Amino acid sequence: MINKIKDILENSEVEGYKIIETKTESEELFLVKKDVDMARSKDVHHFKVTVYKTFEEDGVKFKGSSSFDIHPTMNEAEINKLIDDGIFAAGFVKNEYYDIAKAEDKKIENVKSKFSKGELSEWMPKLMEALYENDNEEKGGINSAEIFLDKNYKRIIVSNGTDLSYESYSGMIEFITTWKESEEIELYKMLTFSDYDPQFISNSVEQMIFLAKERANAKDTVPSGKYKVILTGEPVKEVLSYYVDKSNAAYVYNKLSTHQLGDSIQGKEVKGDSINLILDPILENSVCSAPIDDDGVVLSKVSVIEDGKLKSYHGDLRHSYYLKTEATGDIKNFVIAAGSKSIDDMKKEPYLELITFSDFQIDSITGDFGGEIRLGWYFDGETTTKITGGSLNANIANIHNNFYLSKEVQHGEGFSGPKAIEMFDLTIAGKA
Amino acid sequence: MKVEMSHFLLERRSTIKKLITQLSESFKYVSVLGSDTHGKRYSVQRKGVAINDSMWNERGFVIKVYNGIGYSEYSFNEIDDSNVEKIAENIKKRVNNQIKTLSSKVQITKYPIIKEEKIEDNFLGEVKILPQHSSDKNIIEKLTKVKDKALAISELIFEASVSMQQVQVSKIFISNDKDLYQSYVWSEGYIVTMGRKGDNTKVNYSSFSGLKGAELLDEMEDKVQETVDMTIKLLGAKSVEPGEYEVVCSPDVSGIIAHEAFGHGVEMDMFVKNRAKAAQYIDKPVASTLVNMHDGATSASHVSSYLFDDEGVVGGDTKIIENGILKRGISDTLSALRLGIKATGNGKRFSFERKAYTRMTNTFFAPGNDKVEDMIASIKKGYLLECPSSGMEDPKNWGIQCMISYGKEIIDGKLTENIVSPVVLTGYVPDLLKSISMVSGDVELGGSGACGKGYKEWVKVSSGGPYIKAKVRMG
Repeated sequence: MINKIKDILENSEVEGYKIIETKTESEELFLVKKDVDMARSKDVHHFKVTVYKTFEEDGVKFKGSSSFDIHPTMNEAEINKLIDDGIFAAGFVKNEYYDIAKAEDKKIENVKSKFSKGELSEWMPKLMEALYENDNEEKGGINSAEIFLDKNYKRIIVSNGTDLSYESYSGMIEFITTWKESEEIELYKMLTFSDYDPQFISNSVEQMIFLAKERANAKDTVPSGKYKVILTGEPVKEVLSYYVDKSNAAYVYNKLSTHQLGDSIQGKEVKGDSINLILDPILENSVCSAPIDDDGVVLSKVSVIEDGKLKSYHGDLRHSYYLKTEATGDIKNFVIAAGSKSIDDMKKEPYLELITFSDFQIDSITGDFGGEIRLGWYFDGETTTKITGGSLNANIANIHNNFYLSKEVQHGEGFSGPKAIEMFDLTIAGKA
Repeated sequence: MKVEMSHFLLERRSTIKKLITQLSESFKYVSVLGSDTHGKRYSVQRKGVAINDSMWNERGFVIKVYNGIGYSEYSFNEIDDSNVEKIAENIKKRVNNQIKTLSSKVQITKYPIIKEEKIEDNFLGEVKILPQHSSDKNIIEKLTKVKDKALAISELIFEASVSMQQVQVSKIFISNDKDLYQSYVWSEGYIVTMGRKGDNTKVNYSSFSGLKGAELLDEMEDKVQETVDMTIKLLGAKSVEPGEYEVVCSPDVSGIIAHEAFGHGVEMDMFVKNRAKAAQYIDKPVASTLVNMHDGATSASHVSSYLFDDEGVVGGDTKIIENGILKRGISDTLSALRLGIKATGNGKRFSFERKAYTRMTNTFFAPGNDKVEDMIASIKKGYLLECPSSGMEDPKNWGIQCMISYGKEIIDGKLTENIVSPVVLTGYVPDLLKSISMVSGDVELGGSGACGKGYKEWVKVSSGGPYIKAKVRMG
């Protein structure tokens, strides 16, 4: 099929094109308690085509493009029509001109994974075993879970001569843990992985059961007011993703970020820890790991922010061309260097530690972040109390010139970095 | 104009029937959902234009079989008359191997066989402008006009992103007793404006949606001034003083409360998992007597209105809350089988590649008799909440989190010029619903964006309601 699409494109009036072919084979299990409620599998094959067109209007040069899906069940007439429509549409896409660089003469490798040894279906019972290994408590445990394991093939052909392909595996386990004291409560967790690491799964379950137990025993929230907050776990990644967005070439080009190279990204006088950001295309056990991006750019590790200063932009071919910077390609994994304080040191003074929210979000454009608190601990200098309820609502621009990152690190989906951030004077909406 | 059904699906019906016949020799229940959904997304911003296929595009099939214990599914997107036998053999082999491997190691839940009534039916939606009659040029020109108008209003506006997508959904559902097909078109549009003063950046949006084609574009221009004006006002917004306030919720905020606070909680696959507190509250009061709440494909005419769901069950209108009493939930086929109830036509999939779950369709609070001006006049100190940005469900514990873009201050029964932004609305669902003391007369629904289950399985839904007056915790 891909040769048919390529032949049609080569014989059309298109000036340039890109074909992304993906094949996915998948096994899926849906579990209630420890019983299989449903089993699913799939074999799907997709093609996404982009066509490019350079044109001039009033002496200004533009490069338009249009992307569309080609399904494997389409006949030649349907494919021809889609391509003709795509070329026509690209003529209305008045984007500033950019070049697509010639193909790089580089070889790429598959993303390494133990899942490549054996059939997907054979791994499913092993993943189940890891999931339930630490589910041994009486008052709580896993309520339900979903396990997905995909074998992925991706090939990218570009009219500039690029023809690269690789295989990868992506796993996902979504599970709910519950705990019952006077009332039963639950917590949600989504784990992703690209390699077989049973301990990673069983440790996550153990931690989520512990957190469910803590939430079940948390009775109230703190009074409304200002607190020193220690953010731990997944919300840390969400907050730190702000720096990835703010240094992205598309953000800068579209003025969603006002940062320029050399700028101190945390403001002029940084009292706490400075940010060091690296993008790494191949992080161990990350479903975001890939040797190339969707333009076929071969990816390699890049340092973006050093000691709080923006050293280089990162991004796709188009926006990097506009900023006259080398295209790093679209790298999905990011690494933030560990900070100067241990979590124990952060906890020497009164603090409010927040670990789970209903849905913790940061808006990278405005810098607003927050959410409803599902579990935290308040230390008043003498005793520690489990808390639940209330909300955090803050803006990163107001606090990041004085925050501390933990020495301890964590690894999450597409992320490696500090386990905790210590932030000062954050407003909590709690009890009256 | 009437929407035309996918030729691809109509042509493949005979192939699918052959596949079902072959598989029926091995499995006591076999059904196939076929999808051919095609849409285009158009967007313009200060420095850029894009025309791409919609993220909702799909063309493929999912087959469901009774495996002797429960149900197995297989999703695929390559089939023609010449490979039906091969596909049938592959499905038999995969399902049997899967069940053999699993049954020796774990318990598999037993289900009864799905009983279906014989039905042949179809539904073709109507729009003013069919997607095939709208031109890329015309759409981009209209969006550009809206964008240029927004950017011209104030120098404080540094970006205006205007987009629309129109999507034609075509589906077939075939089993030994059912032969259904449907096709309809929905569209959505956004005006997103961004303002900046010094280091202070604010974003505001207006959205548009419905069972419409490119005629949706005509609604967008009228909203530009209002969207920009609010963006500029947001630059002067303050943080809300945390606390409990009397508020009036606009229809879109009412909708997110109906959807997040209660809709997710009555999805009955959550009852099966013992993840829904609502299961213990059937026929009990959960809201003020002024509250009536609906969900269903036929409960309103909006982006989730269809003839049949993704399991071939004909959609309806479910009255979830009647005069403050929780009466019933919504369900997909397998959850209904487990619970011994009739499925409500709420089995929906992100795509043919994904499982069907119980999902909402068009969810809303029914109208009351109050006037919005009376509602505002009744508040001594509070806010008019508008423009929700996201929400998160908590069916087990009935917590609520809604992120609201802004609240307009009300003092002594009158709106002031003061704005608070952003607002995190939290609380305990029954407390919030029981605090509803006034309900306005007109219902408005919106269906832009997508609804997830947890953090995945996106589906198209609409939600809304009248203006409601309630007491909420804001932070």
